[in-house]
Amino acid sequence: MATQTQRVANLVPDLAAEREVRWPKRTKSKLANGLEIILLESHTIPKFHGELYFRSGNAAAAPRGTALAEMAAVMVRTGTARHSSREIEELLRGHGADLSVSAGQDNSAISFAGLSDHAEPLLQVVNELAREASFPAAEFERERRQKLEEIKLERTEPSFLAGERLRKVLFGSHPYALISPSEEQVATYKREELQAIYREFYTPENAILILVGDFDSTAMQKSAEKIFGDWNGKKPATPESAKVHIPKNRRVYLVDLPESVQAQILCGCHAITRKHPDWIKLGLINSLYGGAFNSRLVMNIREDKGYTYSPRSGVNPLRHHGYFSVSAAVRNDVLAASLTEIFYEIDKLRSLPVPEPELLDAQNYLTGVFSMGLATQSGLLSQISTLALHDLPDDYLETYREKVRALKPEDMLSAARMYFDSPNMQIVVVGDRKQIESQAALFGELEIYDAQGSLQK
Amino acid sequence: MKPLQIPIEYKTLGNGLQVVIAPDSTAPVVTVGVYYKIGFRLEPQGRSGFAHLFEHMMFQGSENAPKMQHIKLVNSSGGVLNGSTMYDVTNYFEAVPSNALERVLWLEADRMRALKVDDENLRNQRDVVKEEVRVNVMNQPYGGFPWLDMPPVAFRNWTNAHNFYGDFADLDAASLADVQTFFRTYYLPNNAVLLILGDVNPQDGFALAEKYFGNILAGPAPKFADSSEPRQTEERRGDVVEKFGTLPAMAIGYVIPPRRTPEWCAMALLDQALHGGRAGRVYRELVLEKQIAVEADGGVDDLFGYDGPTQMTTRIFHKRELSSEATLAAFDEIVRVIQDKGINDSELQQLKVKWRSDYFATLESGRSGSMPKFGLMHLLACFTLFDGDPQLVNTILDGFLSVTAEQVQDAARKYLQPQNRAIVFRKPVEKSAQEAA
Repeated sequence: MATQTQRVANLVPDLAAEREVRWPKRTKSKLANGLEIILLESHTIPKFHGELYFRSGNAAAAPRGTALAEMAAVMVRTGTARHSSREIEELLRGHGADLSVSAGQDNSAISFAGLSDHAEPLLQVVNELAREASFPAAEFERERRQKLEEIKLERTEPSFLAGERLRKVLFGSHPYALISPSEEQVATYKREELQAIYREFYTPENAILILVGDFDSTAMQKSAEKIFGDWNGKKPATPESAKVHIPKNRRVYLVDLPESVQAQILCGCHAITRKHPDWIKLGLINSLYGGAFNSRLVMNIREDKGYTYSPRSGVNPLRHHGYFSVSAAVRNDVLAASLTEIFYEIDKLRSLPVPEPELLDAQNYLTGVFSMGLATQSGLLSQISTLALHDLPDDYLETYREKVRALKPEDMLSAARMYFDSPNMQIVVVGDRKQIESQAALFGELEIYDAQGSLQK
Repeated sequence: MKPLQIPIEYKTLGNGLQVVIAPDSTAPVVTVGVYYKIGFRLEPQGRSGFAHLFEHMMFQGSENAPKMQHIKLVNSSGGVLNGSTMYDVTNYFEAVPSNALERVLWLEADRMRALKVDDENLRNQRDVVKEEVRVNVMNQPYGGFPWLDMPPVAFRNWTNAHNFYGDFADLDAASLADVQTFFRTYYLPNNAVLLILGDVNPQDGFALAEKYFGNILAGPAPKFADSSEPRQTEERRGDVVEKFGTLPAMAIGYVIPPRRTPEWCAMALLDQALHGGRAGRVYRELVLEKQIAVEADGGVDDLFGYDGPTQMTTRIFHKRELSSEATLAAFDEIVRVIQDKGINDSELQQLKVKWRSDYFATLESGRSGSMPKFGLMHLLACFTLFDGDPQLVNTILDGFLSVTAEQVQDAARKYLQPQNRAIVFRKPVEKSAQEAA
């Protein structure tokens, strides 16, 4: 083996000198009405991509109901004071546009892309949706019925059921615990309530407009000011959220999905937000553990043992909390074996320093992939969005790579010990109880739920 | 509206390997792809799923880069990689910082030259592929609907009609000898195209292609099985049981005209008229207006990326209280209206604007968002392997933008006919029986 590795090393061409990674200039401004605007030119294709973000989502609406911001978002494109649902869709098509309106826990967003030669009219449609959505009653009833079907369907998806249970376990009574409403909750949605949320959240003081693409920034700035300049509205009050109690000791939550031919594993523990100074450290140790193809977890349970197709780990940043998670869909008879390997690889990183060459490989991976965002309009938009939504410093893009490269094996050891909280990791398994319960019970005290979320005996 | 002018250079090496280079120095990133003209359509009979299993084997080790070296060398150079198996092609691709170009070419050449895998690798990847099929198909609501359900209903020639992901018995039967035979037959420089896109100087790119691939031996041109279909004379139907999902669903597929004909261009705009998002007639009528369906979508899966019979498919998830026949009747009414009345100029103009916009989006990212220029790579590869003309990327749009309203209506009349379609009904199992169990 050693000689073979040696031989490979001799043949593999060296990397050439690196070309400088230069992030394009951003133009940042704030209009008198409070709207922040970030523009970035990228002339790769004759299109542009944009986001109009509002810094309030389901969590801010939580005192009034579950996932209300999301339902409000669904309604936004279904009618305005000036246009019916059908007219809006045809307007968008006529500008070559794709558009979606969505909300997560922390933000709501109108996301869009269109042809550069139709940029101003598309921004006018976006403006109309942000300010004049009329929430037609018939559209509301239709969307509500559709939502009810979506909810039924998601309860048949193993990855949804796993994600839902993990969030409940990690966040308890905090709004972040709920990722989707129940059918009963959707039945109580009121049109007026959604409209009130829309009026409160969709205001210029609460908004950031980011545009990336094939345009001239000076001209685009003028268009944006002309279109959005006379919009008014204050920032909404932010409700106090419940305190999060971090769960202690490993426990196992089995969601019973009869007839499953696989077990969906999702383990998680609390970590940090994106703003935390250790974020980059955690990102690097995550990529070593299970965040890349060439990571320890993938090598172990896929390439060595063949238990699973796509094991992955990741760090999930919400505005006020972050958590680390590991997922794998494995064959039923190797559930216990897979969990053993998942924890083995975690505990190994908590016990032994990462060898220097492996660390260097991971540093190269993370810095290389980070720069790939430069090559496309959507990649740039996603990077700029991350900065804006998490209030990261302006030079984040420019300094990220050197920060990654400065990390040492001891940083990895301390990050793993701090954030890969193995003793308190919560384990969720979705699958056929009959086939996996005895294996799941090996890893901690067991709670069993059905797919509707009811605790089972 | 400026015409597209993507710079493209194209050469064929002495061993028949076609090389296409599309330079663009916007970002210090280069995308490399190798496409082989073999997909799951033409895999051997009795070996369903083999083309895809084989694709996994291409990451298991080659002459000078043993197992894991491909993945390790690309990731540790700051890049990402993957492969995928399609109807008529299989691709392997990497996006890396441009200083890793030579390394990536070395790796791709090494596995084009010789595959070095053993039984243990095959056992391992057979297990991984089975978990892939479980996670994507067997353990998912509506898994494989309709891409795995439709072929056996719609087609009669085995090449088009078999299970592309593979029956587990066939996967189990696959041997190392099959792997090497498949490799020797199809994985030849004269059956492939190498693509280099992004931060590369074309002269350097061609020189590196010659250096690493130039001495790989050509082989006899592969003989491809005939994928033509016997003439269809009546509508075809089939049922598939849905194990997890909660709504009855159906997929209606129409065979589309041969590629690069004026009718094919008209069909693409007809597809846009029917399936172009929420403005498309199918979604608008069935979901928004008549409210028969909860979800309805469709289209031609990969318009440029096939070289044999293919379909435009509509998927409808409809309300429980409606019968399949009533739902189908509502769909047929949409077809009848477009056949009788055609589309007006304003709709045609919208369709063309959206088509142009979607085409540009495909060039930049396409199917795999994290892989810059994936779509451009895919189009260049297909235009080279199927049409011998990568420059089509710059000109093919014209054919779609010159379609007339009459041509769209004619395509609807000629192709949206019962004897040209197949329907798959995906029906949820009776829940009462399951709950009683």
